Amino acid sequence: MMKRIMMAALAIAMVFAFTVSAADKVTITHWYWADNPKYSATMQQMAADFNATNGKGITVVAQEYPWDGGAYSQTLFTAVMGGGGPDTSSFKLTSTPLFTANNLLVNLDGYLNSWKDKNLIEASLYDTMRQASGTKSVYVMPWNTQVLYVYYRPSLMKKAGIGVPTNYAEFLEAAKKLTMDTNGDGKIDVYGFGMRGAKGGQEPWGSFIWARGGNFEKMDSPQAIQGMQDFVDLFKNGYTPPTAPMDGFQEIIANFKSGRTAMTVHHIGSSAGMVETFGDDVDAFPFPGGAGKWTSMGDTENVMLKSAKNKDAAFEWLAYLATGKGQETWCTVTGNVPVSKNVKELPFFQNNKFMKVSIDGAPWAGILPILDTTTDWINNIWPNTVSAALLGKISAAEAMNKLQAGLWD
Amino acid sequence: MIKRNSSIWPYLLVAPALIVMLTVVFVPVINAILMSFQNYDLRRPSRIGFNNFKNYLDVLKDPLFWGALGKTIVWVVAGVGLQFVFGFILALLLNKKFPGRGIVRSISLIPWVTPGVLIGLMWRWIFDGNYGVLNDLLLRLGLIQESLPFLAQPSTAFPAVILTIVWQGIPFFALMLLAGLQGIPDELYNAADVDGANGIQKFFLITVPSLKSVIYVTTLLRIIWVANSVDVIFNLTEGGPAYSTQTLSVYIFNKGNSLNLGYAATLSIMLTLVLAIVAVRYLKTMFQNQEGKA
Repeated sequence: MMKRIMMAALAIAMVFAFTVSAADKVTITHWYWADNPKYSATMQQMAADFNATNGKGITVVAQEYPWDGGAYSQTLFTAVMGGGGPDTSSFKLTSTPLFTANNLLVNLDGYLNSWKDKNLIEASLYDTMRQASGTKSVYVMPWNTQVLYVYYRPSLMKKAGIGVPTNYAEFLEAAKKLTMDTNGDGKIDVYGFGMRGAKGGQEPWGSFIWARGGNFEKMDSPQAIQGMQDFVDLFKNGYTPPTAPMDGFQEIIANFKSGRTAMTVHHIGSSAGMVETFGDDVDAFPFPGGAGKWTSMGDTENVMLKSAKNKDAAFEWLAYLATGKGQETWCTVTGNVPVSKNVKELPFFQNNKFMKVSIDGAPWAGILPILDTTTDWINNIWPNTVSAALLGKISAAEAMNKLQAGLWD
Repeated sequence: MIKRNSSIWPYLLVAPALIVMLTVVFVPVINAILMSFQNYDLRRPSRIGFNNFKNYLDVLKDPLFWGALGKTIVWVVAGVGLQFVFGFILALLLNKKFPGRGIVRSISLIPWVTPGVLIGLMWRWIFDGNYGVLNDLLLRLGLIQESLPFLAQPSTAFPAVILTIVWQGIPFFALMLLAGLQGIPDELYNAADVDGANGIQKFFLITVPSLKSVIYVTTLLRIIWVANSVDVIFNLTEGGPAYSTQTLSVYIFNKGNSLNLGYAATLSIMLTLVLAIVAVRYLKTMFQNQEGKA
């Protein structure tokens, strides 16, 4: 009898112990996208590192989804609206109105106020996050930024007999002079500018609009139309590959790396691949200004979804990414600009020439107006309207009128 | 022992299938119809509500809708028409006896069993204006002097996507017509030989009439599938450049993707109506022919 009682007590104790330990363990599902297999492996490694070091029994399961020219945000939205989706996710500011309008994000104000590392992130970044949500609250946790700049090949500039452009007029001239027949067969084999006419191209395009003194609030102004005309002229005059109207990220990078283009606009995220391809024969300069100056600040943040079961654990992970080891690891591998002041001060970031160009361009870096029309404008209206202008189906003025109406009406 | 009530039993047997049909077909259809009368834009959830016929009126005034409808007609007529012609030729070839026929039949099915997304991505690289194999071949053959940006100019982008869908659909027609060809009794051809009919006469007087039902059914199915097809175009061009490859189904997908579900539902209903007109006329003709034959 005693033996039976002892056995029963042992069984109960085991069940209790198991239940308690199971209750202590929390699993957080995190969605992210990665531009290449290396970044993908890095995120998995970061999740493993966090799981091993957080000391709170939190296990992050990092699940990768393709960025797919921005379709990631729709995938996330659809999943969360359908009652699924992750606890936390990588995020773009442009999606904030959609997610906050549907009440899908956790307000982070309470967490931030009691967070010891809050001041390691610039107050202005929090302001940008608030602005994007259209409220006085922060729903989006800063993670890293990318300032767009112009990649160029010093050897090609030398061949064309030009220096690094210091203003917008020189930049347009450089695109012309860098368009060359380098092997003397009578055909152009290097194009001056690798233009992105497909989805995502609105970011480099914005620099042309601002360089002429235009802006996004009034895209039908004469200055903005002139910026558009410059963009169209680069294509019409043959200073870009003829595929430009449909060239996206993969194409502009492939064209630059293969030597088909001499300049292209992207951010520091591609610098490692560029150096791997060209060694010292690749450098960068901030997109030069004319009557105005602007470059796109690519942003990547993280959010906590309302459906997250354990919000405290989810914030621990977001904090790890924003100011912890995750910030250093991700920004070191990807070359993105950190948001954490202490990571920015590390020698790796201080001595990187591409980081320096990013920082030089930061004062003029901005984002597109974040409205509920922005996503559709980026995905459908901008690429089709601009390709119509490039292909001569509509004029620059007509294109800008359509873009203005599509974003603001 | 349970007594079977003869009046209830058939309904009970049909019930599971009926419930599944109602759940997965009719409920979404009714939901789409209801959505088409609503301002149902998830980007502006506070404004969701019925707006009567506003979406329909907007669609009728939308130049992109009319452009996409025109593209859809060309896409279906050229796509299905060429698939049928080349599918028929392939079926006739595969119906002949030759060594390795089994292997050739299996290989010819590859385009049909390949997922549309993969086909789109594969052909996107084939057509690529900088590194595509098609440009490389044409340059080597001396047919062009410089690479052509096939997918970046409207004059070539739409033919390129049509070529891709034709490539995908040929095996379907070949397979169905081949099955039909094998069902034609040899006696008919033997009798025609005795009467002195030549190959063309046998083709138009025996083969085609014998395959009429197969041709009707396969063509109707393919018209509906091709009209609704999104994957190939979306992965090739996403409807661009300058909306030049945007068929109605791609337009619906893009609108749905931008979360304007009410407008997307209205476009879907319009596409359904267009397809229904085609299908009803088509089926009517088919049944009339069959009754005539009987």
